[in-house]
Amino acid sequence: MKKNKVFLESIKNSAPKNSTPQAGVSRRGVLGAAGAGVAASALSRSAYGQTMAAAGPANTLKIGFVSPRSGPLAGFGEADPFVLGLARQKFASGLMIGGKTYTVEIIDRDTQSDPARASQLTKDLINNDNVDMVLATSTPEVTNPAADAAEAAGMPFLSTVCPWESWYFGRGAKPGQPSPFKWTYHFSFGVAQFATSYLASWDTVPTNKKIGVLSPNDADGQAIRAHLFPLLANAGYTIVDPGPYEDGTTDYADQIAQFKSAGVQIFNTFPIPPDFTTFWRQAAQHGLTRQIRIAEIAKTGLFPSQVEASGSLGYRLAAAAYWHKVFPYASPITGLDGMKLANAYETASGKQWQQQLGMSMALLDAGFAALSQSGDPKNKAGLAKTLSTLKVVTTCGLIDFTTGPVPNVAISPLLNGQWLKAHSGPYKLSYVLVDNAEDHNVPVTHKLLPYH
Amino acid sequence: MNFLNQIIQGVLLGGFYALLACGLSFMFGVMRIINLAHGSLAILAAFLLMGFCNYTNLSPFIGLLLVLPVMALLGWALQFTVLDRSLRAGPLIPVLSTFGVAVILDNSMFEVYGANSQSLGPNIGNLAYNSWNLTNTISIAQLDALVFVTAVVVLGGLQIILRYTALGRTIRATASDPAVVDLIGVNARMVYAAAAAMAMVMIGLAGAFLAMRNSFDPYAGGPQLIFAFETIVIGGLGSLWGTLVGGIVLGVAQNIGATISPHGFLIAGHLTFLVVLVARTFGGRIAWRALLPKRAAS
Repeated sequence: MKKNKVFLESIKNSAPKNSTPQAGVSRRGVLGAAGAGVAASALSRSAYGQTMAAAGPANTLKIGFVSPRSGPLAGFGEADPFVLGLARQKFASGLMIGGKTYTVEIIDRDTQSDPARASQLTKDLINNDNVDMVLATSTPEVTNPAADAAEAAGMPFLSTVCPWESWYFGRGAKPGQPSPFKWTYHFSFGVAQFATSYLASWDTVPTNKKIGVLSPNDADGQAIRAHLFPLLANAGYTIVDPGPYEDGTTDYADQIAQFKSAGVQIFNTFPIPPDFTTFWRQAAQHGLTRQIRIAEIAKTGLFPSQVEASGSLGYRLAAAAYWHKVFPYASPITGLDGMKLANAYETASGKQWQQQLGMSMALLDAGFAALSQSGDPKNKAGLAKTLSTLKVVTTCGLIDFTTGPVPNVAISPLLNGQWLKAHSGPYKLSYVLVDNAEDHNVPVTHKLLPYH
Repeated sequence: MNFLNQIIQGVLLGGFYALLACGLSFMFGVMRIINLAHGSLAILAAFLLMGFCNYTNLSPFIGLLLVLPVMALLGWALQFTVLDRSLRAGPLIPVLSTFGVAVILDNSMFEVYGANSQSLGPNIGNLAYNSWNLTNTISIAQLDALVFVTAVVVLGGLQIILRYTALGRTIRATASDPAVVDLIGVNARMVYAAAAAMAMVMIGLAGAFLAMRNSFDPYAGGPQLIFAFETIVIGGLGSLWGTLVGGIVLGVAQNIGATISPHGFLIAGHLTFLVVLVARTFGGRIAWRALLPKRAAS
């Protein structure tokens, strides 16, 4: 059954492309063999050699870069043109690997925030553009369908910025069992990183340790409810959870009443950004914000515009960062450290720096490190093997696949930060780190301040 | 006490839905067009208003004096470029063409304004979060109250215009039979253009309050269209005060749903919409069956 499916998929994939007949035959051979399993491994290896020879000019490296640039997730992709521009500029004169100079071509694709399109674009990059590796970033809606497409096609793949539990278990891996993935790799924070950064910074503000949590009935919201809230409860906090609500809810009177009567002093939420603006304004209208000492928001509050939408109610909101401009690490590609990268972005775009800037850079850093370390970037099996043991310092710090929680996954840090009213400069808010429990190399200059 | 609060908040939310829906309702009532670009046009008004406020640093309420006439002109232009042409091609084409307008608007706004979510809440200062505390558990947000009053004033004003002015009489006549008013010397196209302009003023108001109450981004129009559509279906398609009733029923249903379970907010609203829709269809069929024997007899 599964074999047939894979085989049909291989015919479908190879049919529309303009390649030589041998390439079509060989790809069919590879996928058919992969479905057939162990017995065909020898055949698979020989068929593989042909694919390599046929996949574009031998001295050109093609890298696919998949991210959301338009649609509701477009905030994540805002800095990507700038970051890709830096990399293209750097590799304009080619990249030397194993004594051979390759021309580098980065092909970027916009998912338009649509998971089906993310899958389609990845297939298209693999089948029509003959890329050598696919990189993808930002939210499960991008990384998961793109990874599935790459895994099915036997394409080395690296992604980031999606809680690793959503990426690994969300794609069918089972806890305690060997990883089902051979081609796809991911580095990101996970639920444990949220807990560490929260617990490390919350202690500086005295509270009654009662947390009001607002987590929606979507994939992220339910994963957080199942995995993060128990960790906080174990650490001695009381959880007040009115239960999952639907994304797009326009009135929160009931939840606000429950939080008020329970006397919560900490608030923690994982909403889609527009819902938070609505909720927080209503919380202020009904007097909830006056009793909140720590307002810890996630999934929203990542970018300045999301916090500016709350006006003065946004001052002193806490939100964890997967990258911050004070990160001391220099990108192996551009040589820019966090501060220089952020300044270059602000000068080039006229917009305030945002945390995805560093993470998109880190994705390119790690991807190109794997290409270099593999010795032969045209050998897909070798490249995937290099990814599985990749250990490199990127813009966001050390990425180490040898110490991940599960195979195929490396952990990147998450540090708690806080939005403060900016006292100088062109921007309304400044975003400061208040914790470095996950990475002590990052300097911390501020302490968490009480919200009210 | 909490239950009472839920109902009060639901009624206030209903005022917002009514304001959101009245432009859609009016356009359907007069021109028989389901304007699928309704939500996107409201977001456009919100962006125009935000542009004005950021440029001049004036209050959004002053900005409305400029933005509402601009919206009216846009409505006028929309009528002659899109609606009028598509109306001539049959009842389905306006649905498709306004959908096209929505897609173009959404993506154009994304190109111009970027993906960031925006809000006019910061521009109205305390009004965004001040409230009157009636008891410890019941408080009425001043902004919600303002939205509700605006909805009532808009619907009331619309009724006065339709009932007591020459324009209103022409609109009502054209709504009931555009072909006949053409015969008696009224230019139905101009009447439609005036109606589109009025609808756009209401859409502009809705967009402004949406921007003050919530946040918005270029793609936020779709969900608003759903709430507006449910409101006018519950209240009765094309009925003015029905829009207010529909909004209140939807808002109260959602808030009561949320009290039963936090899941219930949207579900309760959608269920109410479905029940009303089924009841109307079912009721209609009974009436139709009742007609059949009569016709057979005659």
